[in-house]
Formats: sequence, structure tokens, C-alpha cells
Amino acid sequence: MTPAPSTGAAPASAAARAREPARGGGDAYEDVLVASHLTRRFGDRVAVDDVSFHIAPGEAYGLLGPNGAGKTTTIRLVCGLLSPDDGSIEVAGIDVTAGATRAKARIGYVPQEVSLYPDLTARENLAFFGRLYRLSGSALRARVDEVLELVDLTDRADDRVDAYSGGMRRRLNIGASLLHRPELLVLDEPTVGVDPQSRHAIMESIRALGSSGLAVLYTTHYMEEAERLCDRVGIIDRGRLVAEGTRRELVARVGERDRILLSASGSLGSFAAACRSMEGIDSVDVSDSTVELLARDGRLRLPTVLAAASSAGASVRSVEVVEPDLEAVFLHLTGTALRE
Amino acid sequence: MHPVVAIALKDLRQRLRDRSAWVLGFIAPMAVAGLISVAFGGAQSFHTSVAVVDDDHGAIATGFTQFLRSPDLHDLLTVRTVSSRADAQSKVADGVLGAAFVIPAGFSDAVTAGSSEPITVLGSVDATVAAQVARSLAESFTAHLEGVQLSVRTAVAAGAPASSVAALAAQASAQPLPEQVQPQASGARTLTAVSYYAPAMGTFFMFFAIGFGSRGWFLERSGGTLERLSVAPLGIGAVLAGKSLATFVYGAASLGTVAVVSSLLFGADWGPPPVVAALVLALALTLVGLTALVITLARTERQAEGIASILTFGLVLLGGNFVFIGQAPDAVRALARLTPNGWALRAFTDLAGGAPWTAAVGPLLAVLAFAVATSALAFALRRRVLAR
Ligand SMILES: Nc1ncnc2c1ncn2[C@@H]1O[C@H](COP(=O)(O)OP(=O)(O)OP(=O)(O)O)[C@@H](O)[C@H]1O
Ligand SMILES: [Mg+2]
Repeated sequence: MTPAPSTGAAPASAAARAREPARGGGDAYEDVLVASHLTRRFGDRVAVDDVSFHIAPGEAYGLLGPNGAGKTTTIRLVCGLLSPDDGSIEVAGIDVTAGATRAKARIGYVPQEVSLYPDLTARENLAFFGRLYRLSGSALRARVDEVLELVDLTDRADDRVDAYSGGMRRRLNIGASLLHRPELLVLDEPTVGVDPQSRHAIMESIRALGSSGLAVLYTTHYMEEAERLCDRVGIIDRGRLVAEGTRRELVARVGERDRILLSASGSLGSFAAACRSMEGIDSVDVSDSTVELLARDGRLRLPTVLAAASSAGASVRSVEVVEPDLEAVFLHLTGTALRE
Repeated sequence: MHPVVAIALKDLRQRLRDRSAWVLGFIAPMAVAGLISVAFGGAQSFHTSVAVVDDDHGAIATGFTQFLRSPDLHDLLTVRTVSSRADAQSKVADGVLGAAFVIPAGFSDAVTAGSSEPITVLGSVDATVAAQVARSLAESFTAHLEGVQLSVRTAVAAGAPASSVAALAAQASAQPLPEQVQPQASGARTLTAVSYYAPAMGTFFMFFAIGFGSRGWFLERSGGTLERLSVAPLGIGAVLAGKSLATFVYGAASLGTVAVVSSLLFGADWGPPPVVAALVLALALTLVGLTALVITLARTERQAEGIASILTFGLVLLGGNFVFIGQAPDAVRALARLTPNGWALRAFTDLAGGAPWTAAVGPLLAVLAFAVATSALAFALRRRVLAR
């Protein structure tokens, strides 16, 4: 999976949209979401501690952190479900605390748990949530059909939600937040407990939404999701935003050391020795028929490494260069693994 | 459509998708009122002589004889005395009596203990109608005795929580039995049974809406949909208003339907429609207040269910929905004044008994006061809900 093109520069259409005055006569704004110095305590526990970040139109921002890091609390602050002890949030140029109702109309919130009426059909659920945002009549019906199409549930639209599979419910859970065409879509771990196929479908639909100019705030503790989906990632741990940037920027903080995995046969010992003396190779590990190298700019070293192999009398069957991932970044920044 | 209306319609749709809402709100009260009316109704142009063989000598057996002698049955029956079962049997065979009742020994004790002994009816092939009338009278008397248990059983069949029903049954059997079955009201006309039981059952079953409404709130919370409502651009006030509106409409529709149908089908007399409508709406408002109160008092769906059941059965027992309290001791009648249903029932029976509409003004104000008091209490306790 190729990482999404890097930050700040939102797609042209979205950037153009950002310069337009916001819909509904709201204030003009550049970033859809601006969170500044957010702090929220529960008793003595500081769940969110001086967190600041911003999201541009069309940008997908991932909050990556382990259980209890403060992701849900941050999201609840953004959506106006909790008020911050300190700091401020603006959505589409509107202060969420002061102009709660106007700000809320711009936000689509997908709760962590599936939050639908199981005794109503998908269509009834969607129509109800649409009415809460004052959609009605044929506009509502058309929008419900559109959203059903988007989450691929058109053929099951008139089934009750309690007859749905877990993945279908998850998809509808997202759909229920899209009826009013929000400018900011906030998703709290929408793929927890979802099989890989549905997960793929969910990721694809979020991606599609992002490319249509919607700003996305996405929390997860799956680093693969953050890597794949998000233009920028904020790493949150124990309430603090410990790092932020594009995948590449974050990875650079660990040091650009790639792992080169070679599966080879022959005289691996002398091949390893040759590698150890090579510039830019930091460590060499030999086991059975594989040699694992830790290298700066792994791809650039590859020709030298392969030449060394043939001159050492080792025949290489396969090569793989693994770039460092967010997991490694997280480990580096917090000293703990993202998932136990 | 205003979001408040959308929330109310959504709640009503969910409620009516649940079969027990139909049963408890519409079918059960009509069925019970209808059963009672069939039991007490009779062919008025027919007349026969009957006798009672009392092998029981208990209070309830005496009550049965009084029931047969009650003014409403004068047109239908002449009660004669017989010396023994054999005497009765021969008089029935001779056609002197249309039918005779044999109350078995131990009848009163059995009824008090909660079971039922059948009253035997002696009839002859020459007077099948008389025997049938006698049988239906015996059954209607037993049905009356079992009136409470009957409604309880209906409630169980309709899905009322078993735990609260057991408590209710125990309490109900401890209630003093009415000395006279044919109830009397303060007005000039005689109150028919159905005119008492239709509103009594209507208000009783209407109160199940409290359980529905308060559980619905906790289901919204645990199901996360309350959070969705909270991120929508409406205040919590709009959410509460929508849910209250649903409870109000369901309650008013339930009792209103019972009023219309029992009047048309069973000849129940509810009084002048505008006054009845005002009482029905006031009772529906009370439901809203009580539901809000249960929500503030409970912390979980189960607690809400429990508190709602206790409240419902407490109110209907005190208010006299099960036991006609026209003849009850003063203390019991005073307790009924603590309940909105007690006041409403009093208004309904007075109106049905021929009292002028002004007789309903006091009770109407009392019901409204109850609605205001419960709502105010719920409002005062609102932090308990919002803090969670
Ligand atoms: N309502 C609350 N009352 C008290 N403490 C809370 C409350 N909500 C969250 N917390 C605490 O705040 C911290 C952050 O919780 P939060 O739910 O934001 O974490 P999270 O990153 O979403 O975790 P997860 O991945 O498990 O969903 C936790 O220590 C949690 O116990
Ligand atoms: Mg969470």
C-alpha cells in the first residue's frame, strides 16, 4: 500500500472549496477543524492533555494510540459531547463551545460502538437521523438512497438492523453520519471487530469520502489503518499528542533505517561479514537461510549488498526491503508497543 | 418536520413494532372490560326464579346471594329459598325454579386462598335458557372475584414482568372483597359494571407506558443512539420533548381508544366526550411526568423496569382500578385521592352515574396537579440524568 501523498497540500478541489465561504453563511475558514490546547480531566486523571491539531478540507487525519490514550475523549470534545477544561475547538470556523448547534450541523460523528435502532430498518434509521438535521421530503428520500448506495446496503435497505451482520451494521453506522453532508467526518475506531473484507470496504468508502473534499478525523489503534488511510497522523499516548506528521515525517524521527531481508544459500557467513564492513549497514543478523540487515536508505544499498553476496559465494533467492512503520515510531516515542 | 416530532414518531414506530404495546395499550383493556361487560350483561326481558343452596356459609357465599338479590337483577331474577339440595333439585325438575345454585362447602376459603371452586348450577332440560342465565351469573360472579387475577394474567400474557405480577397478585388477594358486586355511584343512574371497569382497566393498562418510556430512554443510552442524538444540532431539551410527546400520544391514544370502543361495543358510559377527552389528556400528561420521574430515579434499564412496575401497581391498587372502592373503607378511599388514576376514576364513575360535568372539574385539576408535581420533581432531579 502506497502511503497517501503528504500533508498540508490538500487536493486542489478541496483547497478551492476552503476559500469559498462556508455553507450556511458560516464564517470563512481555512482548516475545517482547529483544536487548540485541548485539556480535559476526569477527577484527577487527565484524559486529554494540551492537545492541538488541525485538519484541512479533504485531509484525513489519524489519531493513533493504545487503549485509554484519550482518543475517544478527544473526539467527544471535538463533537461537543464534552466541554474542555481548557483550550478551544473550531469546526468550520465556528467555536464548538459557543456555537454548539451551528458547529454540530457541520460534523458527522461515527461512534465507537454501533449506534443504531435495531428494531428499525436501515432506511428508517437513516431517514430518522436525516430528519434530526432537518432534511425532509423528497430531498431526504433521495439522500437516504444515496447513502444506502454509498455503504452498499441498497438491497438490504428494508431489513431490520437486528438482522444485519456485524460488518453491515458497521457500514450503516458510518452511513448514518453522512446524511447531512458534513464537512468534518469523525470516526472513532470504526473497524473494531470487523472481518478483513468488511474492513477493506469501510476503508475504501472513507477514502472515497476524503477524496470528495470531506475532512476526516479517524482514531484507531491499528497502525496499518492509520498508514493506509491518513494523510497525517497524530500519535497520542496517555492524553498527550507526542508526535504528528505525515507517515514519512514520523518515520524519519526513528531514523530512516530499513530492514533488508535476504533469503539465500551458500556461504552466508562470509556474506554477513562483508555486509558488516559495509557503510550504511548498522546491524546484520543471520539465521538458517535468511540474512537480515538494518540499513539506512535500504534501497540504495541493495546493489552493493547483492554484489557482495555473489562475490562471497552466496546465492540470493529473494530480497525484501521493509521500511520502518508507525509501530516502530510508536515504540520509539513511547517506549511501549501499540498493542500487547 | 421538526426534530421533536421526528423523535416522537420514531419512538411511536418502535413502540408499535413491539406487539406487547398493542396488547397492553389497546387489546387487553378492551378484552378485560368486554369480558366483564359480557359477564354482567344479560337478557333483560327474561325472568326466572332461582334458589341458592349454601353449603358454604361463608362470607363470599352470602355475597353471592346478595348479588343475586341486587336491584339490577330484579328484572331478571326472583330468588326463592330452598331447604336443601334435594329440595332444590325437585323444584327445578318441577319447573318451580328455573335453576338453582349450589355453593360447595369451603367455597369462601378457597376463593380467599386464591384458587376457585366452581358454583354448581342445577338446571332442567325444560328450562335451558334459565340454566344458561344461571350459569353465566355464576361465572360472572366468579369472574368478578377473579377480576384482579384476570387482569394480572392478561398482563403476564402480554409480557409484563413476572416479578412484579407475583407481588401484585399477593396484594390483590389481600384486598377486602366487595360486599356488593353491583357498584353504585353518586349520580342518579345506576353505574353498570362496564362503565366502571372500562376506565379502570383503561387507566391501568395505560400506565404500562411508563415502563415502556423509561426503558426506552435507557435503551437509547446503552445502545449509543442517545449519543447520536446529542451530536445532532438540537438541545437535550428537544430530545426530551420528543420522547415525552411519544409517551403522551401513546397514552392518550390507548385510553381514548378504550373509551370509544367500550362505549360503542359494550355500552360503557364515560360521560360527556369533551370532559372525558380532557381527563384522558390530563392522564396522558401524568404519564409523561411519571416516566420522567422514573428516568431520574433509575440508573439502569432493569431498575427503570422495576421502579415503573412498583409505581404502576402501587397506583392502580391504591386508586381502585382493581377493586371498586365505592364501598371501601374511608381510609382506602382517602388513599385513592393520592393517585391521579383514583381521581380520574372517580370522575369517570361520577359522570357515568349521571353527575353533571362540573363534578369532573375537581378531579381534572387534581390529575393535572399530579402531572405538574411529578414533572417538577423530575426536573428538580434532572442532574441525576444529565450527569451520567
Ligand atoms: N466519562 C469518564 N469518566 C472518567 N474517566 C474517563 C471517562 N471517559 C474516559 N475516561 C478516562 O480517560 C482516559 C482516556 O479514555 P478514552 O476513552 O478517551 O481512551 P481511548 O483512547 O478512546 O481508548 P480505547 O482505545 O480503549 O477506546 C482513560 O483513562 C479513561 O479511563
Ligand atoms: Mg475509544
